[in-house]
Order: sequence, then structure tokens, then C-alpha cells
Amino acid sequence: MNVLIIEDEKALAYEMELFLTKNNFICELCFNGKSASEKIAVNLYDFILLDLGLPDYDGLDLLKEAKKSHPETACIILTARAEVNDRITGLDLGADDYLPKPFSLLELQSRMQAITRRKFGLVNHIIELDGFLVNLTDRNIVYQTTPVTTITKKEFDLIAYMLLNKNRTLTRAQLSEHIWGSIVNDDYDSNFIDAHIKNIRKKLSVHATADWLETVRGLGYRIKATV
Amino acid sequence: MVIVTLFVALLPSVIKNINRNYTDERLVKQKDKLLQIVKERGIKTYIEDGQSYGSYLPLKEEYISLDTVENNYRLDTIQDERRVIERDTISYRILSHTFKVNGKTYMLEIGKSVETISETTGPLQNIALAILLGMVLLTIMADLFYANYILRPLSLIIKTKLIGNKFPSFNKYKEVKTTTSDFQHLDISIHQMIEAIEQAFQKEREFISNASHELMTPISIMQSKIENMFEQEDIADELKVRMMEMQKILNRLKSITKTLLLISQIENEQFLKEDSILVSELLQDIYDEISIRLQDKNINFELIVTDDILLVNVNKFLLFNLLFNLVNNAIKYNKPDGAITLTARVEKGGYSISITDTGIGIDAAQLPYIFDRFKKIKQSLLQDSFGLGLPIVKSIAAFHGITINVTSQKDKGSTFTLLFPFNILKFL
Repeated sequence: MNVLIIEDEKALAYEMELFLTKNNFICELCFNGKSASEKIAVNLYDFILLDLGLPDYDGLDLLKEAKKSHPETACIILTARAEVNDRITGLDLGADDYLPKPFSLLELQSRMQAITRRKFGLVNHIIELDGFLVNLTDRNIVYQTTPVTTITKKEFDLIAYMLLNKNRTLTRAQLSEHIWGSIVNDDYDSNFIDAHIKNIRKKLSVHATADWLETVRGLGYRIKATV
Repeated sequence: MVIVTLFVALLPSVIKNINRNYTDERLVKQKDKLLQIVKERGIKTYIEDGQSYGSYLPLKEEYISLDTVENNYRLDTIQDERRVIERDTISYRILSHTFKVNGKTYMLEIGKSVETISETTGPLQNIALAILLGMVLLTIMADLFYANYILRPLSLIIKTKLIGNKFPSFNKYKEVKTTTSDFQHLDISIHQMIEAIEQAFQKEREFISNASHELMTPISIMQSKIENMFEQEDIADELKVRMMEMQKILNRLKSITKTLLLISQIENEQFLKEDSILVSELLQDIYDEISIRLQDKNINFELIVTDDILLVNVNKFLLFNLLFNLVNNAIKYNKPDGAITLTARVEKGGYSISITDTGIGIDAAQLPYIFDRFKKIKQSLLQDSFGLGLPIVKSIAAFHGITINVTSQKDKGSTFTLLFPFNILKFL
């Protein structure tokens, strides 16, 4: 999939490129609004990652241009400006998502995957893990034929996030940012992820031992999946 | 006022004195007249053959007596004495005078009854008092009116500039009309001070906003770099653990920056207040979000919604954060096997939600400072926090006009009560 990264902060743009390329995206970089505007007019992208705070251009204008020339392109707004109204205006103008800086690259990728699923209508995105069937579209888990009903929304969020990043170790910081990112509080060392994982394991163990949900000692957690 | 009172108090004796002097003068005059008569017509006019002479008015207000006395007797006084005249004992003011005619000494007494004297004294005193009081009253009224008139600009300044303005929200400068240069100076000085304070506030807000914005980008880059390093296959586990530590610290920095930015956004009124939410729903959301944190210390959580209402014209995200932080604190500072009670009900002054915990409590001495930014209270040092939880709570509450009351008992626990004003309530 083709991605256009519009970001005037070069160091950040390179890191995004590195990460996305590794995850099988084809990336192009733009460091200012003018060249971005030209590229948008000529090329077709699946994704545009747009920093609103460009020195030479109003990011929202770029968004309008992009939507005009290729309405099917998915746009994600990335911004440090974090003006509350920007989010609303951005989404009104057709942006598909809005990610305030500083964001995690994993979070960015998971948002992109969510948009892909939505846009390209992947029906029943189901992953099988030792007899557990995790349906990412309908957001439920079934063991063989028995639904696992005890799993809460938060717990499913965690499982889904780890599945999107399967075979990759996620630190507690990354996991808690994903599920508590929007809450502003003054804890900086939340070990509540451990409690969540403990609960998930307990609930799944009623059906079978979930060995695929691994603890990586000293680091965090990982879902091991071959599929 | 003291002078006036003194004057009024002294008035009777003064009048009395004047009256007495006047009486005495008259007595002396009468004496002179009588002596004149004696001189012109001889003593025989009054006294013949050693008989004494006495004469008084029918009501005995005045009397005159002339008598012979021993030769060497001398007297010339005016004083109050009593005399018995026809069985009536009456106090008189009496002039006594001895004089010699033809080798004989005579004593003349002229008396005027004290009663008559005070009869004139009374009305005089009253009139004087009435005039005096009238004048005092007039003066006071004139003073008041004049002072009021003169000081009108001052009271206007106080009313519009100091009382009318709710600190630290200011209105545009409006000049108070006055010709007195002192008041003009005062008005302008107050205005300048308010402006200086306002500017300082504005600068502080801008600074926090700009600083946190500027910090976001470098944090973003660092976070991305660390994440990309994790992706590297050839990194040893030991190194990964250290990278994770870095990530944790970066998260802390991110949290602080985000919180400061949030507070500055609230203070700059960048949030909309367009949401409506049921209290029961909001509190349930909080519980769902936070229940996982109760497990660790085995805390009992009780939610009592006595009266459910709809909160209107609020910001759901902010209210959620407000309550989340309060409940989170109630968990953090609780004791193992403790309890938290959330009560929501209609009260006299509005609607209240209170959060009571059985935690470590807050020192009475610390209580006034708990809402200050970065103020770390002794016991909270044991916890992983950076002292911005309650400042967020305070900002969000102020933004919605919610009043916060805190009561706390050391080692027993604390209660935070939020009082919601009527204008954001919709009763079901």
C-alpha cells in the first residue's frame, strides 16, 4: 500500500518511514506543503499521513485538496497543535482519523489497519489461536463453538491490539497507552496491564489454557500466532 | 462628635451660670437703686424708729428687707440661702449688703427665689438645646451629602473595578468620570495593575501552551526512535529492558506535557460544552474504566445514585477525566481492603457527587495546597504521581462552574464533594 507522509519534522518523518516500510508499506516523504500539494495532485495514495502544522501551508487546505482529487484516499491527521477544534474540523473535512502527537508508531499502524478493514470491507476478520476464534470485526471470542462472554470491552481491546501486533512484544507502556491513552491522569507507572492480563488468562482458562498469550519477562506481553 | 457631645452635656450648667450672672447683675442694680433712694430721701423712707422694713411680692418670688445691725457688722455677698416667709421656706438667691447712714449700720437683703430663676433657665436651656441639635443634624447631613458627592468617583471605582470584576476575569477598561486628580490617578493605577496581572496570566497560559506544544514534537521523535529500535531483531534482551525503561520515562514526560497542555486548553476555554450525559451513565463508565485498579488492594466500591439527572452543556471528556482522577486518587491513597463510596444526589444548592475513601487522609495543614500544580504532599511522594491530578480536577471543575469541597481526617480518609450548579442540570 502506498503512503504519503507529509511531515516537516524530518527526524520524525524518517522514523515513520522506517517503521512503515518494515511493515510492508511503500512510503513517500514530503517536508513541506508545496511539494505535498504537487504530489497529491499527481499520484494516487492509499494513505496520506498529514501533519497539520506545516510552515508554508495550512494543513487543512491540503486535506481539502487530497479529498478533492482522490476521495478514496484515507487521510490520518497527525498534529502537535492539539487544538480541540482542529479535530472536529479535520474529521468534518473528511479525515479518517486523528492522532495527536506524540503518538506511538504501533498506534498509528493499528489505526491504519482499522481503516483498511473498514474501507476495504474485510468481512469476518477471524484469527484462530489454539481453538480460540477471535473475530476482530464483530469483536468477540469463541472457543470451538462456545462463545467466551466474560471478556470485557477493555480486555478485548488489549487482545485485539496484541493480535494486530502479533509476534511482537508489547511493553506495558505501549499497552496502557493504547487502552488509556485518552485519559489524562497523573500516574506514570501503571502496572494495571498485569491485572488485565491476569483476568484475561483466568477467563480463557475456563475453556482451555491460552499458551499463545505469552509473558515476555521484564518487557511485556506478546501473542504468538503462526497464522 | 466628641465636641458636640461635650457641648450638649455642658449646656445646662452653662445656661445656669449665665442665668445666675444675669440675676446677680439685676440684684446689684436693684441694690444700687435702693441705695440711691436712701441717699436722696434718707433712710427714713423705709425705716423709722429702729423698725425693720420688709416687702415681698404676693407669690414671694422676690423680697426686700432692710434692718439695723450691730455697728461693726460688715457683709456684702450674693449667695443661695433659705428664708422663712410666712411659714413658707423658700430658697432664694440673696444679695446682702451693709451700709451706714447717720452712724447706724443697716443691712439690706434683696432676694429672688431660685425657683423663678430656674423657671427661666429651663426654657432657655431647651431652646438652646433644640437649636444646637438642629445645627448638628444639619451639619451632619450636609457633611454626608457633600462627602458622598465628593467621593462618588471613589465609590464608583470600588464598585466597578474591584467588586464588579471577578478575579481573574477582567472587563475592558472604562474610565470613571472625575475631575479630582487623585481619583483619576487611583482609577488609572488600578486599571494598570489589573492589566499587568491580566497580562501575566495571559503570558503564563501562552507559555504553558507553547512549551507543551513545542515539547510534543521531540517527544514524538524519541518515542518513534525507541519503537523502531524495538523492531530490530538483533538487539539483546538486556538492552531491550533498558529501552523499556527509557520508554517509561518518556511516557512520564509525555504525561506531564499532555496534562499541562490540557490544563492550558481548559483555561483558554478551548473546549466546547455541548454534551449531555446521565450521571448514572457517567459514573458507570468511570467504574468500568477503573474497576481493574480496585483488585490490587481489594477495595470495596459502592455506587449510590439517589437521584439520577441529566447533565447538560458539559464536556463529557473533561467530566470523565475529572471523576476519573478523583476516583483514581481514592484508590491510590486507600488502604488494603479499604472502601470507596460514590454518592450522587440532589442537594439544596444544586446536585452533588461525593467520593469518600477510607484512605490515609490529608493533613489539615496541607489541605489548602492540594490543588496547586506540582505540589507534592508528603504522603503522595510514596505514590507514582507528579502532582497534576488535582490541578486537572480543579481546572475542569472551574470550567463547568462546579464547586469542590474537601474534608479529610488523617488516617481515616477523605471526602471530595462536587457541587454542580443548576444551569447544567436537567431534572428527569
